[in-house]
Amino acid sequence: MTCAMWEERVALFAGGDLGTAEATAVERHLSQCVACRALAAELRLELDGLRQVHAEPLAAEHYAVVRGRVLAELAKPQRGRAAWPLAWAAALAVAAAAVWVVVMMKLPAIPAPELPRVVSIAPMVERPVPREPGSKRSLKRRERTGWQAKAPAPLAGGKVGQTLSSVNLQVNPVVSRPAAEDSPVRMVQLATADPNVVIYWLFEEKGEER
Amino acid sequence: MKTLALVAAEAGDQREGPDSVLEAARAGDRGAFDLLMRRHERLVLGTAFRLAGNLEDAQDVSQEVFLRLYRNLAKLDTGNLAAWLYRVTVNVCHDARRRRPATVPVDDAPELAAAGDPQQSAGEAERRALLLRSLRTLSERERAALVLHDLEGLSTAEVAGVLGSSVATVRSQVSKARLKMRDFVERYSRRRL
Repeated sequence: MTCAMWEERVALFAGGDLGTAEATAVERHLSQCVACRALAAELRLELDGLRQVHAEPLAAEHYAVVRGRVLAELAKPQRGRAAWPLAWAAALAVAAAAVWVVVMMKLPAIPAPELPRVVSIAPMVERPVPREPGSKRSLKRRERTGWQAKAPAPLAGGKVGQTLSSVNLQVNPVVSRPAAEDSPVRMVQLATADPNVVIYWLFEEKGEER
Repeated sequence: MKTLALVAAEAGDQREGPDSVLEAARAGDRGAFDLLMRRHERLVLGTAFRLAGNLEDAQDVSQEVFLRLYRNLAKLDTGNLAAWLYRVTVNVCHDARRRRPATVPVDDAPELAAAGDPQQSAGEAERRALLLRSLRTLSERERAALVLHDLEGLSTAEVAGVLGSSVATVRSQVSKARLKMRDFVERYSRRRL
């Protein structure tokens, strides 16, 4: 049996890899331990044998084979080596195109949303307008300065059944004229793709344009 | 400080003036590159042979090492050519082994003993073969450390530089490698008796 705690140091000692202090400690142990002494001797013997085997040169033809292969490889035209980046780029482009085609084929067609249609244009029954928020002071200021809130641009040119995208926003007196002279507020009803959703557009015409 | 092994390996570069062969090879002189290969082929093929374990793989490794040398001639530090060659040889062996793992585990020792014929095997030749076989029982790092340190004669610090590890790690690897080899040989011998 050898001393397990000394084994690694004995292995290094056998190859002459210990410093003076460590080597002295190992030598002291070896002088007292027969098993470790035998281990050191065997390790030295095997190392020497391995070094002798390694020191024997290989046959000259083995080296010549390698040299010949290397020189033959270098003598090959460089075209293949120089062209590989281009080949890679082309392969990548083809792969990317293939992926794009597959993705486009797999994607479901997304239908365009149906635009709302004008279903009716009618004058709105005028109702009492709730008082605008604001203090009495600000109301008085408005009366004094003649300030008025701007009315939205009137829908013009619209017809019943017409989609909103084709509605002409220019003033059309026929459409925008109110049925009753005293009702400036008009209402446009827009139908959407969802029958439960109807858009009402309220606007007021300016007096000058009637 | 460089060991005699590295100094001797690099001395070849200085024989015909300062890096004249290397400069000519860099300039595209294939004859000069052939000379450069001749100077270092023992280092490369010998190390690869011990690391790979067979001549065919070692020749493949050497071919790749010299091709890498040719491709890197322009940026090579000539003062460290031997160390560079050792490093590349170890790396190419590692790549080759990953592609084709070695197939001789430690537990094959009894089988080897059973296969041998005591009458025919001459003691010395068998012992040499056994020692080389014992190299294959080591892990890749242990084998590299042992081959570079014990067979190629690099110092522990130089081996650490080649393998990219610490001196302490290399010492440990070398020590364990020696013990493993000795265990293999001992098991084989015990089996034969």
